[in-house]
Amino acid sequence: MVEVFAVASGKGGTGKTTSTVALGMALSERYDVTVVDADTGMANLLFHAGLSDAETTLHDVLADDAPVEAATYDRFGMTVVPCGTSLDGFRDADPDRLREVVASLATGTDVILLDSPPALDSRTAVLPVVLADRIVVVLQPTIPAISDGLKVQEYATTYDTGVAGLLFNKVRESESIDRVAEKTERYFDGPTLAAVPESERAREARRAGRPLLAHAPDCGAAAAYRRAADALTVREGSPGDAADRFRSAVVPEPL
Amino acid sequence: MKLPRGRLRRSRVVTDPRDVLADVLDRGLTGYAVFESQETLLLDAEGRGVVTFADGVPVLAYHTGTDRGGPPALADLAVPGPYHVSLYALDAADLEPAHRADDLRVPPGMPAERLAGDPALADSTRRAAPSDRRDAVESGRSSGDAGDTRSAVEAFLDDTEKIEAIKDQARAEARERAAEWEF
Repeated sequence: MVEVFAVASGKGGTGKTTSTVALGMALSERYDVTVVDADTGMANLLFHAGLSDAETTLHDVLADDAPVEAATYDRFGMTVVPCGTSLDGFRDADPDRLREVVASLATGTDVILLDSPPALDSRTAVLPVVLADRIVVVLQPTIPAISDGLKVQEYATTYDTGVAGLLFNKVRESESIDRVAEKTERYFDGPTLAAVPESERAREARRAGRPLLAHAPDCGAAAAYRRAADALTVREGSPGDAADRFRSAVVPEPL
Repeated sequence: MKLPRGRLRRSRVVTDPRDVLADVLDRGLTGYAVFESQETLLLDAEGRGVVTFADGVPVLAYHTGTDRGGPPALADLAVPGPYHVSLYALDAADLEPAHRADDLRVPPGMPAERLAGDPALADSTRRAAPSDRRDAVESGRSSGDAGDTRSAVEAFLDDTEKIEAIKDQARAEARERAAEWEF
């Protein structure tokens, strides 16, 4: 079985990469998890997973210079596919090859998390959402983040991708998150998976180049990510079908 | 709100109002910014939002479409971008009469929180504010200011029509772009 999730937010700064890695680690307790940095223009997953010196990255695979196996690394109980940070690497990468990469990874894992670009303004930015089965929307409880999250959802559902749930992140105590979450859910197709408190531990983890769940497994934010992972029901699907599905993923005809 | 015409410093389209607020704070601009949503299909998109600044720190907010000032004007402005933004410099003395309108005032960090959704930028803006304004807001952070922030997000979420308009607009855009991007 495999299910592909795009971890998405319309806006930068919501802590999407921290969330992708934390969800991945929490899910790896129950599933074989592969995390892919699909934000090919502004890669930073490698810095969160202690892979800043990775020699071969998704850029090389997308430029057809390396097989995907050469860009996969076993870290913190997950398979991690980092992306490089050089502009040359970005220029030479063919984003359309991401389909093939996802199809190929789909045959050997249970869950794929695509850390997606925080934008909807280009084909490259939207492709992970098109390829995914469902999205996890990372939101801060602010008006701009929620509006942008709504836009991501509408793009996803227009392209026949479902909504697995909402993850509120960087939540401050003053923000009465229960009421905000309840009202937000009315407009989204998925439930709130968890509300992750703003955390100095998350910043420390990023500086240390380690996932939050490895750096501070007992902090409140780490606990919230584990609750989010528990709330996420991964759907069954056969690997063979999955590979074909991602190779042929297209947007349905407009109504 | 009547303001003398300032000297145009910058005019451009931005997708995120954060860039404008951060830029104004960096430059310590005294003057005002005019925000115009490019999202003509959205409700409340009629009219312009004006935010004035003293040394880079927001002072007043006003929306010409809804004729509301202060925190409610920020809620009127909080629609997804892009925005067309023009920045004008003005002498502090020319802003002074307008700045006497207490009902149009906003706490220094509020535009960064509500328009940009950036608590860190809000914090640096508060730190840059003169002590009398900073103290007023800091003392209110645990009750008044935080309460306002909450109600602004909740008021936004209670505006079903506005949210449905945002969703309709995004769906239309997604369909249009699917063809353009050859998905």
